[in-house]
Parts: sequence; C-alpha cells; structure tokens
Amino acid sequence: MKEVNVEVIGVDPPCMRCQSARKAVEKAAERLRAEGINVKIEKANIVSKEVIGKYGVLVSPAIAINGAVKIMGRVPSPEEVERLIRESAK
Amino acid sequence: MNEKTIRTIRTALLLAFILLVIGLLVYSRIRAYSLAPTMKSEDFSKYAWYEIPIYYLWNYFSHAWICLLFAFTAAGLVYEFAPKEAITKYMGSSKALGYAIGAGFAPLFTVCSCTMVPLFAGILYTGAGIGPAITFLLMAPAANILTILITGEFISWEIAGVRIPVSLITAVLAGIIISKTPWGKAVEKEHQIAQNPTNDQKTVEIVKPPLDERLISALKFGGYLAKQILPYFLIGLVAVSYVNAYLPQEIVEGYLTGFTGVLLASVIGGPLYTPTLVEIVLGKSLLDLGMSKGALLSWLMGQPYDIPNMVAVSRVVKWKVVLTYALIAWSCSVAFGLAYGLVSGSL
Repeated sequence: MKEVNVEVIGVDPPCMRCQSARKAVEKAAERLRAEGINVKIEKANIVSKEVIGKYGVLVSPAIAINGAVKIMGRVPSPEEVERLIRESAK
Repeated sequence: MNEKTIRTIRTALLLAFILLVIGLLVYSRIRAYSLAPTMKSEDFSKYAWYEIPIYYLWNYFSHAWICLLFAFTAAGLVYEFAPKEAITKYMGSSKALGYAIGAGFAPLFTVCSCTMVPLFAGILYTGAGIGPAITFLLMAPAANILTILITGEFISWEIAGVRIPVSLITAVLAGIIISKTPWGKAVEKEHQIAQNPTNDQKTVEIVKPPLDERLISALKFGGYLAKQILPYFLIGLVAVSYVNAYLPQEIVEGYLTGFTGVLLASVIGGPLYTPTLVEIVLGKSLLDLGMSKGALLSWLMGQPYDIPNMVAVSRVVKWKVVLTYALIAWSCSVAFGLAYGLVSGSL
C-alpha cells in the first residue's frame, strides 16, 4: 500500500475557504483509499513558524503533497486533488 | 465527446460569460446609464418608514447590479490570475522589493481577512520585516480592486483616482516609520526566522490546472466574496436608506464640512465598523447631503484602521505597533482630506 502525506495549510481558526479545501482533500482521499493509496491528512497553521520556515510565505488555503506545495490561494475540486495525489504516489 | 472537446466548450462558455459581463458595463457606459442609485433625499418623504428600505434597495439594485456583478467577477479573475508564486517568492528577498510588492500587489488580494493576516505574518517572518508588512496591511483594504471599482462607479472616478496614491503614500510612510521605532524593531527581531536558503525553492511547485478549471475557480471565488460581503452590504444599505431619509441636510452641511468636517469624518470613518463597501455607499449619501469632498476622502481612508482589522493584527504583533500605525493612518487621512478639500475647492 502506497502512502501519501497531504498537508492542508490554512489559518487557525479555520476560515471557510480552508475548510472547503480540507473537504476536497478528504473526498479525494476516500476515493483513493479504494485504489490502495493511503492518504494521510494533516492540518498546518499558515502563520506558524514551522510552516513559514519550511515553505516561505503562502497564500491561504494551500495544499502540500509529500512536502511540496502544489496548490495555494484557491479551493481545488476533489478531482484535481485526486489527480495530484495520484501523480505523487507514482 | 472526449475530454479535450468538453474542456474547450467549457472554456468558451466561461469566456463568453465574462465577455458578457464586461459588455454590460461598457454598454451601460455608452448609454450613460447611471449605475449608482438615483433616489434623492426629498424622494423619501412620500414613503412610510417601513417602505423606505424597500424602495431604496429596489432603486439601488436596479442600478447597481451591473456594477456589482462586474466588480465581483473582476475581483475573482484578478485574484485567480495574480502571480501569487512570484509575490510569495520575492516577498522576503529585500526591503525595497518588499515595499514595492507590499504596496503594488496588495490591491490584487481582495477583501478577505482570511488572506490578509497570514500574508502579513508571512512577510514579517520571512525577513522583509515589519515595514513592508505594515505597508501591505494598510494598502490591501484601502486600494483593492473591489473597493476602487465600486468607489469609481458609485461616487466618482476622480475620488477613486485620488484614493490610490494617497493610500500608497500613507501605507509606505507608516511602514517606514514603524520600522524605525524601537518597538517595531523588537517585533521584527522576535519574529524573524533564519531561513535555510537551500530548501526554500524546492518545496513550492505549484501545479497549474487547465484554463477552464481556473476560470471556474475564479468565478467561484467571486461568488464566495459576494456571499461573504453582500449580506452585510444589504443591512448596511437599509441603514443608509434611513440616513438618507431622516438625517437633515443642515446637520451634514454644518458638521461634515470645513476643517472640523474632515476631523469628524476621519474619526467616525475609522473606528466605526462599516462592512466593506458600505462605507462607499454611506459616503455617497453623505456627499449628496452636503458633506465636503475633503471630508469624504478622510472618511474613505478610515477603512484600514477599523477595529476588527486592528484586533486581528494585534494577535500577531504588539498593541503598540497597532496603535502606531493607526495613529499614522489617521493623521494621514486628516492631512490628505484637508489637502484634497483645498485643491478641489470643496472643504
């Protein structure tokens, strides 16, 4: 079973757009699980020093897959997240 | 049909919609159709108190829908297609560049505290320092695309044009002054993180989705902004209709003109929390009731130092910094209000 690490980077307390981004990731993860890709979802705070030290300045919401920011400043569709995760799992 | 054809058709339909929105605005321009409400104070006297907001809102939206539709569509598109990666990449590189990006790109990030406070903290942490961070913070609400479009359409393009440079000067000035204060420097030192130059380019590799998905996401963001802003806007408009109907012209002419007018407008324009865009409509009705143009500018410039904005920022930096920038922004709003009043001959 392959494992992919996804970070949803947003503000804390979460804003509406960050929540929608998280939902999209969760939906994608559910579908991928059936195919044997295990998606681990983590929530990261965009104003924390860890996140900024790792990725620099980001626009919320951002999504990082396996430690690389792939999406920022917009809410993706679950299909798009699914596609990106599948690419990273290869 | 294969996927490519579907995408092409979708892209074409979306572009057609956007062109239609732009076309509507241009058409209304050509026909010289007013996009601002046309009701005058004296028109209100023939309605009962409960009828006033209904008639006003009807009058308002029958004129303003084209402008609002255009503004939200444009805001969504600009936000989606703004070069976000470039901004975040260069934000931390140097002071001068930090100021330029803070001031120049802030207008692209529309009214959304969701985006503003994290970016403010980000600029602060990555090394561009407190100055550019403050500049960004003050510039974003004062001169973002939504505010400028609505100011231009509802009040006048003259005041919208004046608003951009004066906001810019205020924002840069506040940034520079705060970066020189001891408490500003303390915040900077406390927050700066040593960045590892070897890893920062590798971990951000934005994937661009196809054009149709970007357009959809742009329109969705415009819709999201509308959903966030319009309910408050509606409540604000009801209040505005009562101001129009019941606030005597003599009071406005007496208090919101001259030097005291500018002072008063700047004091109530700031702390009084008007939901985004309502300050523009309220400003317009006060202008119609006799407020001077100078006072109007001060009034509009109050937006960046309103209370909720200050509270959000104070979670990242100390209160002393917040109060300093509020004081600078306020002084500037008075100074520019007076100057504009004198130059335009309406003080």
